[in-house]
Amino acid sequence: MPIEMDDFVAEVRSFLDAHAPRRPHGDAEVDWGTGIDRISYFSTDPPDVEAENVAAARAWQRRRYDAGLGWIVGPPEYGGRGLTAVHDMVYDSVEAEYEVPDTGVLSLIGLGMIGPTILAHAQQQIRERYLPAMYAGDVIACQLFSEPAAGSDLAAVSTRAVRDGDAWVIDGQKVWTSIAHHAQIGLALCRTDPDRPKHKGITAFLVDMSAPGVDVRPLRQMSGGAEFNEVFLTDVRVPDEHRIGAVNDGWRVALTTLMNERASVGGEGAGPAGRAVSLPFLTALLKANDRLGDAAARRRLAELYADQAATEYLNHQAVRRLREGGQPGPEASVSKLMYGQNLTRGAHFAAEVVGPRLLADTGEWGTFSWTELLLSTPALRILGGTEEIMKNILAERVLGLPKESGTDATTPFRELRRSGGTA
Amino acid sequence: MSQTTSQAEREDLRASVRSFLATTSGEDQVRRLIGDERGWDESVWRRMADELGLLSLTLPPDHGGDGFGAPELQVVLEEQGRALLPSPYFSTVVLAATALAASGDEAAQATHLPAIGAGTTTATLAVAEADGSWRTDRPATTAVRAGSGWTLSGTKQLVVDGATADVVLVVAGTDAGPGLFAVAGDDPGLTRTPLRTLDPTRRIARLEFADAAAVPVGAPGAAGAVVDRVLDVATAALAAEQVGAARACLEAAVGYARERVQFGRAIGSFQAVKHKCADMFVRVQLADAAATEAAAALAGGEGLPDPGVAAAVAHVVCSEAFMFVAAENIQVHGGIGFTWEHPAHLYFRRAKSSQLLFGGPAAYHERLLARLGV
Repeated sequence: MPIEMDDFVAEVRSFLDAHAPRRPHGDAEVDWGTGIDRISYFSTDPPDVEAENVAAARAWQRRRYDAGLGWIVGPPEYGGRGLTAVHDMVYDSVEAEYEVPDTGVLSLIGLGMIGPTILAHAQQQIRERYLPAMYAGDVIACQLFSEPAAGSDLAAVSTRAVRDGDAWVIDGQKVWTSIAHHAQIGLALCRTDPDRPKHKGITAFLVDMSAPGVDVRPLRQMSGGAEFNEVFLTDVRVPDEHRIGAVNDGWRVALTTLMNERASVGGEGAGPAGRAVSLPFLTALLKANDRLGDAAARRRLAELYADQAATEYLNHQAVRRLREGGQPGPEASVSKLMYGQNLTRGAHFAAEVVGPRLLADTGEWGTFSWTELLLSTPALRILGGTEEIMKNILAERVLGLPKESGTDATTPFRELRRSGGTA
Repeated sequence: MSQTTSQAEREDLRASVRSFLATTSGEDQVRRLIGDERGWDESVWRRMADELGLLSLTLPPDHGGDGFGAPELQVVLEEQGRALLPSPYFSTVVLAATALAASGDEAAQATHLPAIGAGTTTATLAVAEADGSWRTDRPATTAVRAGSGWTLSGTKQLVVDGATADVVLVVAGTDAGPGLFAVAGDDPGLTRTPLRTLDPTRRIARLEFADAAAVPVGAPGAAGAVVDRVLDVATAALAAEQVGAARACLEAAVGYARERVQFGRAIGSFQAVKHKCADMFVRVQLADAAATEAAAALAGGEGLPDPGVAAAVAHVVCSEAFMFVAAENIQVHGGIGFTWEHPAHLYFRRAKSSQLLFGGPAAYHERLLARLGV
């Protein structure tokens, strides 16, 4: 059923007004020296707090689903609303004006990427079993893609799947798997024919994360916490009905997943990390350290703010265009690159202002606490596609520059030179 | 409240300006004007007024204008920047007309704006003195009462299109503080000296006033507020020009990277070149967003940032972006990009001169912080 954008926005507002408070307008006042002295990018909550957050995310997703807003682009037969991607983005932009639980644990991977993949490639009974449950917040999905020897070159996965009657037996190791410790299912890319070129011998499977042989181990990052996982798969049996797409056609399945990986438009400046490098907070930092009159510091602050503001303007304009019926452009890639850079520059700027007090926890408010953000910033240039891969995509797909020539796409996978693992 | 346009109407405007400039401001014409004494083509100026209506586009309706605002001006200036059009448009329509509008002086507006809109008068604004800054608080140039009128004396530096402007608006000190005055370009008390320029597509002159006849514009001592407003509008307009020129550099670099073959392959297939082009693209997209937001904010509307902040952001981001892209364009072209014959240096020259026109990084970073109240 087509619905006018204005009517849709009104419906969304009335839903949100009924269930969530509005976010206060503008930047919150900074009360330097008070409150929790913690600046984090990755969540480093203790397990009980993390469990509460997951429960709140599930409850909010259930509420959206019951209101017909759980899966805006999905087909009605699987619990979706049957509207467009633009409606979806508009929903996100309106919801950003409200205080609602963060549903990233469900939406970033499962609902945003795995759901559309299941819809496009899975058999009927698998779609019926999982899609409504996922979009109602009951089933959390993760992405078993990256491996120690297949990072940017994802098509080089070497986790094996071997047919055994009505089932497949999977062996291998996945890495950098977000939220695997909360997930009930995972979409795994497996090598099913190493004698074909790398893109042509991969098959995708939906793995039950509670099946015997699935071992999820937290992966501790350089910032100290463990928000990612390594997933070891040892003789894991997966019924053939859980195969997603045809045998050896898994790369096409993976492309569906990756195409749905979009940086969220707008709202990226939110969160504790974004607030920490915002103008009011950094100005308060300079003031507290008696550096507001320092010409060098002022200049860096202005440079940083100008780039932050321009990135925000870019996102706002993308949302405005979408609301007026336009198409998404390359803003998401630009915005992702800038987001990482702005946060990184902000963290290093703050570190410089704090100076030697960053070396050790003296107990002084607003000093050592910057270490957590600082130590998280290298991840921003890597996760969700490294800076280098993002630039290749912009150069090749937007600017039309030629692809790098090579034989890796035509050589049988077994004969390729690879880091570490064997086929 | 100014006239507004839809995105589609602005794209129509862009198409008509672009096709006009394709025939009137191609590289050959730009190079011819670089060697020309006047520095811009009067017949092109007339056609901009008569055929395209560009000179009256953003002037107030009460004085012969069409009443459009910053978003429409943005389109026109982007295209002028793209073509590096040598023209007194920026000095006349952006600097002088904005100063007249901001002065609130109805008589001065009635005298000058209709002629500007009709293309029969060019004008400029003279603020900077020896140090090149656009501060207005302590001008060495002064105006004094002389009989029933005023006379003005002193030296203004770095006046854009100062040698050809029919009317010069001058900031000069008075007993009531710095005021704005209009001086005729051909006043016998005015000596105009065209200067050698970094950017040969935008002319600059030194103006020496010796008891030149001057007419006050606006309230006495109110030049500070007028120039402040001019800087918001002019930095946003300059940002648009910078975006158009920067995009031209990006397109030139990408086009060359696609066709230039070395080591048996297009250089654009090497990641070092590819990433350079991607970096240029990112900066141009950001600059475009900043210039667009500044124009929208100046026109007013819901959910937009403070116009002074947005203009200051655009001035920083677009100045840096254009300079970066103009330099990288030469790098992608290699040796050929360093020749006089290749147009890359014309963009490089425009990039640096635009970046420094209103004081450069030291001034624009402080201006942004001032606008933010930091």
